[in-house]
Amino acid sequence: MGYFILEQIVNGVVTGSVYALIAAGMTMIFGVLRAINFAHGEYYMLGTFAAWYVVSKLGIDYGASIVIAVAISALIAAVIGRLVMQRLVNAPFQSGVLATLGISLILQNAVILAFGGGYKVFPGGWLDPVQFFGIGMAQQRIVLVVAALVMFGGLEWMVRSTTMGKSIRAVSQNPECCQIIGIDVEKVVRRTFVLGTALAAFSGALTGPVNVSLYGGMGESITLKTFAVIVMGGMGNVRGTLFAGWMLGIAESLVAGSIGLQYRDSVGFIALLLMLMCRPTGLFTAKARF
Amino acid sequence: MRWKSSGYRLGKAVAALAATILTLGAAAAEPDGDVIKIGVVSPLSGASSRYGAYAVRGAALAVDEINAAGGVLGKKLELVQGDSQCVPAEGVSATQRMIRFDNVSMIIGDVCSSVTLAMQPVVEQAGVLLINAASSNPEITYRAGVGGYKWTFRTYPTDEVRASAALQFAVSKGYTKFSVLSVDTDFGRGAINFTKKYLARYHAQIVSEDYYKETETDFRPVLSKIRYVGAQAILMYGLADTTPIVARQMHEMGLGGKVELVGNAEFTTPSTIAAAPDVLNGAIETVAWLPSWPDRHSLKFVDDYRNAYSGDMPNVHAYTHWEAVHLLAQAIRSAHSTKDSDVRAALIRIKYDSVMGPITFDDHQQAVVPIVLLEVTGGKAVNEGVLSSRVDYSAH
Repeated sequence: MGYFILEQIVNGVVTGSVYALIAAGMTMIFGVLRAINFAHGEYYMLGTFAAWYVVSKLGIDYGASIVIAVAISALIAAVIGRLVMQRLVNAPFQSGVLATLGISLILQNAVILAFGGGYKVFPGGWLDPVQFFGIGMAQQRIVLVVAALVMFGGLEWMVRSTTMGKSIRAVSQNPECCQIIGIDVEKVVRRTFVLGTALAAFSGALTGPVNVSLYGGMGESITLKTFAVIVMGGMGNVRGTLFAGWMLGIAESLVAGSIGLQYRDSVGFIALLLMLMCRPTGLFTAKARF
Repeated sequence: MRWKSSGYRLGKAVAALAATILTLGAAAAEPDGDVIKIGVVSPLSGASSRYGAYAVRGAALAVDEINAAGGVLGKKLELVQGDSQCVPAEGVSATQRMIRFDNVSMIIGDVCSSVTLAMQPVVEQAGVLLINAASSNPEITYRAGVGGYKWTFRTYPTDEVRASAALQFAVSKGYTKFSVLSVDTDFGRGAINFTKKYLARYHAQIVSEDYYKETETDFRPVLSKIRYVGAQAILMYGLADTTPIVARQMHEMGLGGKVELVGNAEFTTPSTIAAAPDVLNGAIETVAWLPSWPDRHSLKFVDDYRNAYSGDMPNVHAYTHWEAVHLLAQAIRSAHSTKDSDVRAALIRIKYDSVMGPITFDDHQQAVVPIVLLEVTGGKAVNEGVLSSRVDYSAH
């Protein structure tokens, strides 16, 4: 039984790392814009599709395809950032909801229009199984967890030590003051948006081989889970997101493995409801950030 | 007073408008002289859109063939499509649109059992013929014919026979402990419910039971459990697009060759086998048709289909919809009429030669058709026997 639980925890950490990578971007964007990016899962989908296209249609190696996929998604995000997201600075809450939901629909349907509505199989990836304390898993999953740790380490460093990180923190705390002292808030918003969505695209390209199939609507369910993760981690709290992602992943795996797979998606919703009812500031701080 | 008169005028305007709409409606309701409309309701978007695409292409091929040969009773066939998204509510509204606005009086549909079950009362109320060519939930024809619904016919074998045949064959291979991992729909749950009826007869047991959502991609927690409870085989009635995901994750966890797949979820399609050959070797599946079926007309259908759709291989839904259109055409011919009641009477007594053998309908309007038992051996689907799908209703 102990071994079974350990195996479920390992499964949960892998799934949770994906949630955390995606959620990190969503929480940063919330920090600077005070808007939930409801299209966030779509950038994850774009990342998977771009990697799939590069590998299967252009015949480029999977390793290189990750870089190209992130670049393509970042380019698309840069355009959307300039046309839509930067206009949401100081806009009422409702505009953010409408704008991002609209972008979500546009991106989903553009992909369906371009590549068809059916499922596609993701070729390539590092799929050879390795034994890990007697638990067999694809190398790809180890890569995923390591990538998540490296990315979070990098984000932590960036937020603390670089000018961009400091300006992101400043804008999160008080956009009006930033404008007074000469920080270009719109530029910070654009950069944060591109960085955050590139993280989602990165995890999309990394999960392609283990999720095997891809289709236009695949980002939708991820957005909902990511929302639960950022509420658990505390909206705008990057470090909290990693632990919240792991917690959701582990809880989901334990529920799927012991109660039943059909109850898996309810874990995120129940966690979201409980958090909003009992501790809306997140698990790691009692003080509201915003 | 003014208010009253304007209200009166408004009332007159509304009445005039209503009359116009009624006349328009009546005009639209007149049978379009030289075409016979056949509706196809299938999932054209969403997680099961793959099935819908095959179904529509198969039906369209049959319509083209029939029209090229001069049509039916001197009239051309015309295909009307409806998207069910594999969601019952969407399927019902697609069916209602077809009946009300497109004047379709013969419908083939749906692929998803949950949608077909929801469409049945709709066609019953409208008195429109429904031929189901791809859903396998047993309830569909338990409710039809002497079971109640007059207008539903099914040309596809039910899961009742399939479930017992697959279980019997798996037990003969020495498996007795099964884990359930099926799709969370009327198809997946229905097949398992009917499998449970036969567990005692074959001395088998179910050691764990899980149902997956159509969009699920992470099966590791459940596969860990399946390994932990020591199942020898997984009973899976699921979606073709999900099978490669499960198979690859089984491969990752080293379950290939240790736990076999039994049921129906396109285990025998070459692209699925290629996703994880070590896992799919030994998989047992019951199918209504397969592309390599050694019948002259069946092989010709495969060739024609591939020629028409740039080399794409037809799946079972393409075949069943192609055959259903031909069956319907023969029923119309032998009825000498396109009236629904005449066509229905012709269907009840029809003896149609399908590529899988003669089709007749039992008193539940369920076709008695053969089903083929396949096992994946050495990376290829091997025919392990053909069974009749006749259902013994009195046993329940």
